[in-house]
Amino acid sequence: MLLAKMLRLTNAVRLLRFLTVSFAFVQLTIMPVLAESEQTFSLQGFGTLGVARTTSSDLQFVRDLSQPSGIKKDWDGRIDSVLGLQGGWHINPQVEAVVQATTRYRYDRTYNPEITWAFVKYDPTPSLTLRAGRLGTEFFMMADSRWVGYSFLTVRPPGDYFWYLPFYSIHGVDAAYTIPMGENLLRVKAFYGNSDGKIPLADRQWEIKGSPMVGAFLEYQISSWLIRASYANITFKNDLPIAGLVPASSAEYLTTKDRRTDYYSLGVVYDQGPWQVQLMLNHIEQGNNALEDSNGGYLLAGYRIGEVTPYLGYSWVRSERHAGSDPYASRVIADSHSDQKTSIVGMRWDAARNIALKAQWDGVHGDPTSIFPYRNDPVNGRWSGKMDIYSLTLDFIF
Amino acid sequence: MRRLFLFCVISWLLVQPTAEVRAELVVVVNARCGVAAMTRNEVINLFFGRTRQFFNGIEAQPVDMPDTHPDRARFYNALVGKDLSEINAYWSRQVFSGRMQPPVKVGSPDEVLKWVVAHPGGIGFVELSKADARVRVVHELTSK
Repeated sequence: MLLAKMLRLTNAVRLLRFLTVSFAFVQLTIMPVLAESEQTFSLQGFGTLGVARTTSSDLQFVRDLSQPSGIKKDWDGRIDSVLGLQGGWHINPQVEAVVQATTRYRYDRTYNPEITWAFVKYDPTPSLTLRAGRLGTEFFMMADSRWVGYSFLTVRPPGDYFWYLPFYSIHGVDAAYTIPMGENLLRVKAFYGNSDGKIPLADRQWEIKGSPMVGAFLEYQISSWLIRASYANITFKNDLPIAGLVPASSAEYLTTKDRRTDYYSLGVVYDQGPWQVQLMLNHIEQGNNALEDSNGGYLLAGYRIGEVTPYLGYSWVRSERHAGSDPYASRVIADSHSDQKTSIVGMRWDAARNIALKAQWDGVHGDPTSIFPYRNDPVNGRWSGKMDIYSLTLDFIF
Repeated sequence: MRRLFLFCVISWLLVQPTAEVRAELVVVVNARCGVAAMTRNEVINLFFGRTRQFFNGIEAQPVDMPDTHPDRARFYNALVGKDLSEINAYWSRQVFSGRMQPPVKVGSPDEVLKWVVAHPGGIGFVELSKADARVRVVHELTSK
């Protein structure tokens, strides 16, 4: 009942008001005893100022598909810059309420701030954590901290792995349970909710809001090693915004409404002393005819020397081509094709406390048909599939 | 060629400077929590929030120090061989993904002891010479 009510709430303000009332209610009824007078409110933030350019004017490079337009040959601050603010109310040692807002270049070509998270977290026992509200989804490892540049080594999470993932939050619940196994830890997390957001496609927007999303992962921590296997799916509520662009029969063939897409991933992280190594693999199975199934992954390694951490990476994505029912459908399907590899070389310099400067080169080597990760379809034959991306960022937390 | 490369890497690793030797830091817990000794991994698990309980099921309440106190850098360097920037990066991921908040921070070793004594599951780090009878030393940090 409570969940159903939350899921129906649509705008952030109403959600917030609802959460505030629930905290008050929880406080009055269930938790009459207030614990220690330890820090009860917190305000923290993160941000990135970044500029980047590519070596191609044939199409636009974006950080992920949530961005309606990207960058070309000129230095541009659009794709990586972000500012986020988090307010936390630590009601007692078991319960806290968190609201996080971010502003960045988004689906409607504005920087309008959004409430990215707004949830209540409850730890009934030391091994169980429950959350309800607007939550980040961990579709893939680290998917819910993709915009916190200070938290990772690279300028941005490797694109070949994350481009496909413009889903950021759900209105729903999640639960995480940790099982100690000697010195090692097994962690299980599951989430369910209705997704929120829009994905820009050409000059239109694909409404993702209300599409149910469910997922879970199993994570094993052995000393400096972290291994995670995860599964998630989303059942799209709407068709792609192609009405009127293709004949009705093609549109029917390309329908995404009520079709489920499955996401599988495996991640291995080694984090010890100066070393940070990550290997991530994913497989996406589309339950619709409009988008292509794909495999992606990346390998990243960094070694810290004093305040500077040089890193090397390699990422790839390849989708499986399939024929459409007619030329119109085939054209739409071809838009979701990707087949490329990216080499990454960069350096993170922890210049001052809570401030990091990064410089990175990405060398994209792809097939000319690899256009899904980009914006503005190239004029026929112009896109070679190869380009370089140069990026500079300043990441901070406060 | 490959052998030469390996040789270079290994010799370079061998000449890496070892951490500065100073007064030893120890991990202390509330004397009544029933924990007598902890391994390095168990200490890491608690201070990084990977688990919130001691092996006996008692809820752990770790206490940290601010960046400005030199013990903090020494502690994490000895524990996991990481700089404070990496520790803060780790916590920024936990905080801004909405997973968890970092341990409470207090400004001095005396306050660390006070915290550990006042909380049944209290766990903190101080210099060995500061650890008194109210707390129990469960792990000695050797530089790595």
